[in-house]
Amino acid sequence: MGLSAAAAGDGAQLCVFDLRRGQQEGQELDKILFFHPADCPILLQLSVIGLCEGIVTFTRIFSPEEDCEVIESEKRSQVFYQAEPDIWMVLVVEKTKDNVSTWRFGALQGILKEAHSLFTMFHGPIRTLLDRQPSAELARGHLRTFLTDYLSDFHVGKKLQFPTYRDSLKERGTIQMLTVPREVALEVQSLTTVLGSCLGSVTCQSLVLFEDLLVSTTLPPDDTLNLYTYAVLRLTPRALSSNASSWSYLRKGTSVNAGPTSSSSNGTTAGERYHSRSRDTSPDGQNQMHHNFRPLLREKFSKGKDGFVAPDFAATEVRGAVPLTPILWFQQAEERMYLCIYQHKSLTILLLIPASSLINGEEGIAHVKKQMLENASQKIVTVEQKLTRGWGGENAYHVSGYRYLLVDPDRRVSRASPPGKVTTLAKDSLLALNRLRQEVDLEKSRYRRSDPCHDKDFEVCIRTKNNAWVIAKITRGRELYMALEKGGETLLYASTAVEKFSNRYCEGAFSTD
Amino acid sequence: MDPPPNPNPNATDAQPQAEAGVRLAALSLRGGRDLPPDFEIHEHHLDDDDDDDDDDEGYLTAASRGGSSTCAWKGLRDDDRDGDGDDVSPPSPSSSGYAGERGSSLDDDPDPEPAQDWPRNKKHLDEDDASSSWRKRKKHFFILSNSGKPIYSRYGDEHKLAGFSATLQAIISFVENSGDHIKFVRSGKHQIVFLVKGPIYLVCISCTEESYEGLRGQLELMYGQLLLILTKSVNRCFEKNPKFDMAPLLGGTDAVFLSLIHAFSWNPAAFLHAYTCLPLAQPTRQAASAVLQDVADSGVLFALLMCEHKVISLVGAQKATLHPDDILLLANFILSSESFRTSESFSPICLPRYNPMAFLYAYVHFFDEHTYVTLLTTRSDAFYDLKDSRSLIQNVLLKSNVLIEVQRSLHESALHVEDLPIDPSSQSASQPPQSSQDMSSQSLSSEMAIGGPAGLWHFIYKSIYLDQYVSSEFPSSISNQKQQKRLYKAYQKLYASMHDKATGPHKTQFKRDDDYVLFCWITQDFELYAAFNPLADKTQAIKMCNRVCQWVRDLENEIFVYGESALSWQYHHCWGGK
Repeated sequence: MGLSAAAAGDGAQLCVFDLRRGQQEGQELDKILFFHPADCPILLQLSVIGLCEGIVTFTRIFSPEEDCEVIESEKRSQVFYQAEPDIWMVLVVEKTKDNVSTWRFGALQGILKEAHSLFTMFHGPIRTLLDRQPSAELARGHLRTFLTDYLSDFHVGKKLQFPTYRDSLKERGTIQMLTVPREVALEVQSLTTVLGSCLGSVTCQSLVLFEDLLVSTTLPPDDTLNLYTYAVLRLTPRALSSNASSWSYLRKGTSVNAGPTSSSSNGTTAGERYHSRSRDTSPDGQNQMHHNFRPLLREKFSKGKDGFVAPDFAATEVRGAVPLTPILWFQQAEERMYLCIYQHKSLTILLLIPASSLINGEEGIAHVKKQMLENASQKIVTVEQKLTRGWGGENAYHVSGYRYLLVDPDRRVSRASPPGKVTTLAKDSLLALNRLRQEVDLEKSRYRRSDPCHDKDFEVCIRTKNNAWVIAKITRGRELYMALEKGGETLLYASTAVEKFSNRYCEGAFSTD
Repeated sequence: MDPPPNPNPNATDAQPQAEAGVRLAALSLRGGRDLPPDFEIHEHHLDDDDDDDDDDEGYLTAASRGGSSTCAWKGLRDDDRDGDGDDVSPPSPSSSGYAGERGSSLDDDPDPEPAQDWPRNKKHLDEDDASSSWRKRKKHFFILSNSGKPIYSRYGDEHKLAGFSATLQAIISFVENSGDHIKFVRSGKHQIVFLVKGPIYLVCISCTEESYEGLRGQLELMYGQLLLILTKSVNRCFEKNPKFDMAPLLGGTDAVFLSLIHAFSWNPAAFLHAYTCLPLAQPTRQAASAVLQDVADSGVLFALLMCEHKVISLVGAQKATLHPDDILLLANFILSSESFRTSESFSPICLPRYNPMAFLYAYVHFFDEHTYVTLLTTRSDAFYDLKDSRSLIQNVLLKSNVLIEVQRSLHESALHVEDLPIDPSSQSASQPPQSSQDMSSQSLSSEMAIGGPAGLWHFIYKSIYLDQYVSSEFPSSISNQKQQKRLYKAYQKLYASMHDKATGPHKTQFKRDDDYVLFCWITQDFELYAAFNPLADKTQAIKMCNRVCQWVRDLENEIFVYGESALSWQYHHCWGGK
């Protein structure tokens, strides 16, 4: 024990372990459900998990109700997330001279939460997989492929690079919405109605995206967030065409090494296809999918002639197999649904067909698709045209002079300055903003603990050593973060700037009066 | 923030004496290497001289030295209970001060009796890590050796905590063995902060919402306090014997650590790294400084005249400067050890920031209940010389009425925000000044809370070049300890935020939450921390901050020590040698 973690090649580790397993001495390895990098020596894996388990147990002496969140040491940060009871995910990031104090624990924990939410959407809860197959082979198989594919988005060269201070005007786990004029909104609503009736008596759910922005949803917020996140990762036109990480722009133009490295590195065969699904309607029915089902494997998606995006796992890999439509589990809606993806130019439509209502599988899906093309094609074209006409491009939400992030945690929505504009900020401004966000995260969790029912208002304006203003303001649960580099020296200038922004772009949500 | 007069209960006079004896005996366990060869002789002299001095000093009576006070007793209890949190604190304005942790009446049992053996109750020796009451304590401090042997625990019997201590050691060593150093663990509202100092591990487990930087700074001070008592040469004991049991060396010094831990919730010096002075008219302070300077010229390394935690005058030998942290630790050591009050003392102490490896020798004498002189020398045989020097100082202080002025200042000269001079150009913005005597209880959230103009409640001004700060008295809106501690913690966080290692120091910060508007302004010359009513107007608050700075400059001759001391070059650098 006590081995140096330097052996981990890419400077980061991600592990998933189950504290209910491996209770007997000598069986500790059984706790480990996933470990990245896979070639990390077993002793080192056990060392990492041993420390994590020790700390989890130790902190419970003092705070039995609360989870251990972070271990910070001089050389690394270990961020914890108890994804399910006794199932922990831990991300270990190594510090270098260049990156000390550059990340925010909340942002790192957000990665773990996102990974788990997406995993659950495709494979169901980890505990269910373990209960279904106590040897854990199934759970380990799914976690290995899924998390490896998920982590491929963070690969820069051979190393994993996680969000840093440069991403302090981003909020993972939120949706970016497209603001549409009223008449277009009516068109979208009409389209949603048509999409909902594709199956006839049972209502289908749908998400409509324009570029990477959400236009409409009929799902509850958490489910919307998960599906939206998946869409932006892999399904939108940009995700499909670039075959690159949707977060690549966060890395200041660094080229992103896409999937193949990671998928080949873990040595899995590429025989991905859906196994024949049962008609099981239980939430974890999709667990019966073949363990090589890899919804995040980037190059496996392509747009067909009919406009539908197919996860062509089968066609090239297994002769004679037919691509099957994935089933997703929506936790908040408490329903399993087939996912059909239709794309027209910049518009992506995610149509969700309740699995319990579809008794004849792929045939039924084909029928629904046909219905959709017949009934909604024209509306889709119209909506796409109108949205394109009104679309201001990637800098549509740029506000001159401001670098900002607006978050509405209740609705899980955020809006931010375009990444290209954020990169114009000085390093010192971003570092200060990142640090301020870390402080605000702590204040928020303190408020939540002391009074979970009420939002506390909060405001901080800091004049940094490089003469920028970094600002955080929380009003009635909504959050505004801002960096202002050009402008006046006085606090009153900064306050006025926030006031103007709030009045013009936030309907006065952050205004003093 | 000013400590009230210490009641200094006599009931346990015997106990501190015994403690001191234990401590000194423990020190002597370390052999002659670190102790003056004639140390015990000095102890003997010390007793002899005590009587003489009593005769000399007509004003030093039994009454002025001791006497328990029910009021203070209650205050102490409140103070201890929420020493690290905000759970219990009925208003007790009289108990805000240092007396809290020094006193022999400390206890936070629900229904306390003035205990005979207060340290036992204070520490809750019946508790250990299996007790739910122990687990619920808001702030634990542990010192242990790298072999896992407990050295100090704020709560519980160290011996019973051996297993717990071993667990802490295992965690720290596990990380150390991988070539890394653990800094902190966070779990909900609990934060576990680690500090490794060679063979000594320090750990704080807290749910007080303080920042990591703040808690780490407190552990650094705990370590400093340990060095002050033992010097860093104690490491050699661990080199010789890794299983060395250090706890006996600190025997009887519980009160010192408890007092320091208490300071972490009221004394801004603990995070500002600056000291504060007792306000005095310039001629009075000059008289004191002149005689200290005379003494320093005759071979004393440092001469300090202090009133409680406030410096009256401070003189160092040429080129020798005293770090504010050392002043804090030294004052804490002296004020928390009853034996210093009851007798003329000559004791080996180490100033960790000056030289952590070596002992100096401190001659300490209390002129009255609050005021004491400390003469520090490198000579272990200087007792008689210093005793003579003290006589000289005492004569001058008496002749020039310094001690009377000190008493007066202690009760009258504090800064009250209500007295902030009104700017003639903006009188309309100011409320009429309130009487500083008006201590009617006000709710913190009350819009009508009384304070200074424009909702100003409190401020701390630190002169960077002088390493000194001045803070205002708490207004009636922050009259009880719970409120004061909350503000203290808010300042502490603000300080940490402004001085962030990676991004700071920032220039300005404005922060508004449900409790306050806080304002911080850092320039090359000073740092200003100000607290306002949460509804305060931003424009007016900025005006008030400017006015506070002007006010402090107007009063600088009275509220800061400068010019006469070895630190005078700093003063000239700062203020242009006015």
